[in-house]
Amino acid sequence: MAKIMWETKMEKALSRAKAENKHILLDFFNPL
Amino acid sequence: MDAVTYPDDRVIEFIQSHMIPLRVPFDDKPLSTDFNVKWTPTLITLDPEGKEHHRTVGFLAPEELIPSLLLGIGKSHFDQGRFDESLSTFDRLLKGYPNSDSAPEAIYLQGVSKYKSTHVAKPLKEAYEQLQAKYPSSEWTKRAYPYRLL
Repeated sequence: MAKIMWETKMEKALSRAKAENKHILLDFFNPL
Repeated sequence: MDAVTYPDDRVIEFIQSHMIPLRVPFDDKPLSTDFNVKWTPTLITLDPEGKEHHRTVGFLAPEELIPSLLLGIGKSHFDQGRFDESLSTFDRLLKGYPNSDSAPEAIYLQGVSKYKSTHVAKPLKEAYEQLQAKYPSSEWTKRAYPYRLL
């Protein structure tokens, strides 16, 4: 079953966003 | 979001194709302070340099999340003066999700994008007329109200 593969570190997300020329969806969530 | 929206196939496909998804706890420091997060979920669209262009707070169903993300991408292009890209993104939002809560703002910014790229005022008036016809009670119709006189 497909699911969203979340990044968990801003640095990695920014690196991927620049390399893939994509925007970032930043989700602040409550893990509880 | 985890029970309804994020497992939705349309949401998964959209995010995988168009965005880098980044998820952090609401109390993650220094990010939550940097972005002034007060409630969850807070969903923010960032450009590839990490600059914020759009945010929502609270649950969004799949049929609202996708147009909200399109709005965020369109606003990023708009903020950076890339009006061809902003117009095509707003057009995609309006064709795919005309009844979404994001649609009125997309129409408003479509009119402004056309004005800023051509310096012709007519698109502003057309945006107001479209808003008045389709979304008469929207806040964006009220914001565009002065354009009726152009």
